[in-house]
Amino acid sequence: MQRVRKGGTSFKLWREQKWLFLMSVPFVLWIFVFNYLPVWGWTMAFQNFRPGRAFGDQEWVGLSHFAELFADERFYLVLRNTLGMSLLGLFVGYTVPIAFALLLNEMRGRVFKRSIQTIAYLPHFVSWVIVAGLVTKMLSVDGIVNELLMLLHLTDEPIQFMAREHWFWGVVTMSDMWKETGWNSIIFLAAIVGIDPELHEAATMDGAGRFRRMWHITLPGIRPTIMVMLILSIGWLTSIGFEKQYLLGNPIVSDYSEVLDLYVLNYGIKVGRYSYGTAIGIFNSVVSIVLLLISNGIFKRMTKESVI
Amino acid sequence: MPQTAVKSGGKASDRIFTALLYALMTTVGVVTLYPFINILAISLNDSADTVRGGIYLWPRSFTLDNYRTIFQYSNLLTAFGNSVLRTVLGTFAGLFSASLIAYSLSRKDFVARRFVSLALAFTLYFSGGLVPVYMLIRDLHLLNSFWVYILPGLVSAWNVFILRSYIDGLPFVLQESAKLDGANDLQIFAKVILPLCKPVLATIALFLAVGQWNAWFDTFLYNGGRTSLTTLQYELMKILQNTSASGGNAAAVHGGQELANRVSPESIRMSITIVATVPILVVYPFLQNYFVKGLTLGAVKS
Amino acid sequence: MKVKRWKRPAWAGMALAVALAATPGCSSGDEGQSAASGGASGAASADDKQPITLTMYMPQANPNYENMESPVGKKITEETGVKLQMEFVVGDEKQKVSLMAASGEYPDLIYGHGNENVLVDAGAYLDLTDLIEEYGPNLKKLYGPYLKRLRWSKEDPSIYFVGSYGVNEQRWTPETGFELQHAVVQELGYPKLKTLQDFESAIKTYKDKHPTIDGQPTIGLSILADDWRYKISVTNPALFASGGPDDGEWYVDPETQKAVFHYMRPEEKEYFKWLNHMNNIGLLDKESFVQKYDQYAEKIASGRVLALADAKWEYGDSEKALRQDKPERMYGMYPITLNEDIKYADFQSAGYSAGWGVGISKTAKDPVRAIKFLDWLASDEAQVLNNWGIEGENYRVVDGKRVIPPEEMEKRKSDPDYFKKTGIGVYGFPFPQYGIGVKDPSGQTYTPDSIDTIIANYTDVEKDVLAGYGAKMWKDLYPAESEFPIKPWGKAWQINIPQDSDAAVIAQKCEDIVKKKVPEMILAKPERFEEVWAEFIADLEKAGVHQMEEEFSALLQERIKLWNE
Repeated sequence: MQRVRKGGTSFKLWREQKWLFLMSVPFVLWIFVFNYLPVWGWTMAFQNFRPGRAFGDQEWVGLSHFAELFADERFYLVLRNTLGMSLLGLFVGYTVPIAFALLLNEMRGRVFKRSIQTIAYLPHFVSWVIVAGLVTKMLSVDGIVNELLMLLHLTDEPIQFMAREHWFWGVVTMSDMWKETGWNSIIFLAAIVGIDPELHEAATMDGAGRFRRMWHITLPGIRPTIMVMLILSIGWLTSIGFEKQYLLGNPIVSDYSEVLDLYVLNYGIKVGRYSYGTAIGIFNSVVSIVLLLISNGIFKRMTKESVI
Repeated sequence: MPQTAVKSGGKASDRIFTALLYALMTTVGVVTLYPFINILAISLNDSADTVRGGIYLWPRSFTLDNYRTIFQYSNLLTAFGNSVLRTVLGTFAGLFSASLIAYSLSRKDFVARRFVSLALAFTLYFSGGLVPVYMLIRDLHLLNSFWVYILPGLVSAWNVFILRSYIDGLPFVLQESAKLDGANDLQIFAKVILPLCKPVLATIALFLAVGQWNAWFDTFLYNGGRTSLTTLQYELMKILQNTSASGGNAAAVHGGQELANRVSPESIRMSITIVATVPILVVYPFLQNYFVKGLTLGAVKS
Repeated sequence: MKVKRWKRPAWAGMALAVALAATPGCSSGDEGQSAASGGASGAASADDKQPITLTMYMPQANPNYENMESPVGKKITEETGVKLQMEFVVGDEKQKVSLMAASGEYPDLIYGHGNENVLVDAGAYLDLTDLIEEYGPNLKKLYGPYLKRLRWSKEDPSIYFVGSYGVNEQRWTPETGFELQHAVVQELGYPKLKTLQDFESAIKTYKDKHPTIDGQPTIGLSILADDWRYKISVTNPALFASGGPDDGEWYVDPETQKAVFHYMRPEEKEYFKWLNHMNNIGLLDKESFVQKYDQYAEKIASGRVLALADAKWEYGDSEKALRQDKPERMYGMYPITLNEDIKYADFQSAGYSAGWGVGISKTAKDPVRAIKFLDWLASDEAQVLNNWGIEGENYRVVDGKRVIPPEEMEKRKSDPDYFKKTGIGVYGFPFPQYGIGVKDPSGQTYTPDSIDTIIANYTDVEKDVLAGYGAKMWKDLYPAESEFPIKPWGKAWQINIPQDSDAAVIAQKCEDIVKKKVPEMILAKPERFEEVWAEFIADLEKAGVHQMEEEFSALLQERIKLWNE
């Protein structure tokens, strides 16, 4: 790194790192075109954008969309729900797949192991519409869950799971866990495979048991992957989509089910307020990037490594 | 290593652990497989009968009509072809770009590392919005073109970072020794790094392939008016929306009322899920080889 | 060891990929971006049947669309030279429309489907006034006096699209009502069913007698609040039971012609209070606000739901499952109201409501061919083709009358793909068409439906029940169309609130309040009902409901003037 700053070495640098430049810079140009150029669209947040009018004919309104956004009570409600569900999702969405991958790695029957792995990732391919249907059916008053609870005398009267607003986040998180655990574990499985087997052998020689090896070798071995994914995901805390919440929700739990992306849809595009939608998009991006840089900074301070 | 593990694991606590592990995994298997079987059963059940509910593991009134309804759509074959093509091309193109960038980012001495890394990372968190992206695609003459499926999403920052973190975990000695042998960076990448990355490349290939296969929104936005460029998921989405009475008020239904009432949405939905999913499912066991089998890293090292 | 040979990297694959990646412009053809054809009319008339492909934006998917490959589709191409290429919308229409408007790239024909105002604002349409005058004799005949209703506004009296939905349609079946299983009314000896109290006591009496049906608990009244459907089954009935016609979320005072958000009417409070009462005494399905459409349909199909408050098209499918084995568990439709002085207005006529329709874009390749195509579709020949099919194949002419042979009729009824295979009905909606029951010059209706075919389709149980009430059709139980004045504003829900106006945002806010508060007030303890209702009204007022009503009333009055001058 330090060599760079010295004058007159740029040619030498180019010669040394020519290939590295060629391997990455063209792609940076590429993303500049496809990802950075369209950012001119952010100007819409400061206009009352109407499609079909020339850029110069748009009406400029300054920060009024942002002012309206921050003055809307509903915005804070949906922000709370979004953060609540995404934090839960982040926690469950990492711990469970990692645990699953570790456990799967401990299995020895080849056929069984592979079958379980293949089966576990199936739900990823089922759309949320169908998952939501299955979940509401299972949790309905005459659904299988209630039948089971009654059978075990854990409850005398069927519980209306979907009508408890405080349970909604849990329902979403559990459904998500069911759908994505297998899929999310794939990346960790791949990382586990990359761990040097010699480490395991050495540890076994030293008499380390299964759990100790899992804890001291496998887990640290996949730590870089975990950290990268975690830190990148933290940036997405405010953008979790709205599909599952929308499909699982109902009017009774709406105070806990409505999320930011649905708000964007309902109060932006649906009523023709592209500008308002864009303003929320900008808010989202700024929050994301701040979160990303903060979490990366903390990570860097702790480990002297950096994800980005 | 498996042998040694088995041998040393003769303790009682270990056996209990194994038993619990198998019990847990079997539960997971059942819980995740059941809905799929249920979906299959409903897809093979007479649609009018399905409405009565109570279909679990097998169809009550067997029929292939739901599938017949789907396959009547005449452009399903074109759609299938395009989907396969975009999946194959998109996967290779994505692997190509991600691995090149990831390698250059893994090199701590690369001067533009921080810049490239940030430039990439930010793309994960913002978008210019639908309208400007659409205009860009139009100006690049990518509207009504197959390449719109491949080019805009060529570089995926997420995949790059995953891959880079994996490369970071590889022993650096390998690269150094290659360098001493006079290899340039490109050669090191191709001959040393890539072969070692098979498990993670397989994973990313899976992500890319599934992403490409499942995409329908780009078809809708950019190629909706061109039958020859349609994709399977898009066609299936169309059928899906056809069979569910659309729109928020009675008006929507007035027009399609007598037409749209034929097949129960549920059975059709389920058969669509099967048709959309099965082709991509076959990719998995194939790629699975790469991350279930251990890599013989040691061999390369010596 | 083998780390030695570095000379020839196997680059072929990658080089190919690079080459491929470096040619972003290799899009095939540019047909989609048909440049605006300047001199539109040109020499069009000479080659009227020259093959031409017209692209069309069609936000509402048609499951039977057959790419013009059916006999009827081919016949249309043969007669007009036109091959339609449809672009159906799969995602969000609003997005697609705004992209079209922002980029200025339109297909030849556009069906606006409620987004006409965005398109008009962006200047997407051609004014059809002169084109219709010159090339549209059939259109003029079809719309007749309603042609002026196609005009956009007072300031801009252009005709931007030709209206969808049948002109002068006659209605023989009710669309909405309160439904009771035939078994209930039969057992109770066809009780009087006029008011909510009659309805309630019928449900209660039967349910008390039969706490289970086929071993499962009997459900009294089930309503559905899944997503947008809450309007159909939860809140619309409040409007209908209090005598309002279907104007969507609006009630228009016939005297003052002012629109109110229908929940603001004191009468409706009574309806919701009744639902609250029904819930309190256990006659309302506990899962009403939780269930999804599938679950609701499943319950109905199981035959244990005694009563509904729904539109026919929403529960009709589920009811079909009962037709074979349990026809007595199917439903009759009754015009229940708050009290006997109120008339259920299902049959009140809206005249011809032309709010939505098919227009020609300003970038159309050949507007003259496009208008001629639309005009041909409005012709008697095309209307018969569309509704009856091809003579000699789908129907025969006997003594100058069109007749559908029994075996063809059977296919028409039972083959799910009949319409897709023949193309019948595919080119009706959203194109110009005559309504059901309108007669052609030979005195026969343009559509094959008739009172006889409807009655022939009733089950025996259904006929008994109707006889029990002294009626031939369900329609006979309802106040007749002639008892109501024609609504001069058409259908209020077809009036587009301008994009990004205050009213549009307020409407969204009000919708959210309704979705939240209505379930709350229905599920509340009865003594809390008044309190929740007061909160509901206060919330709506805080959201600006009165401002929205004013803005909407202005739009409404403008339309009334425009349509009836």
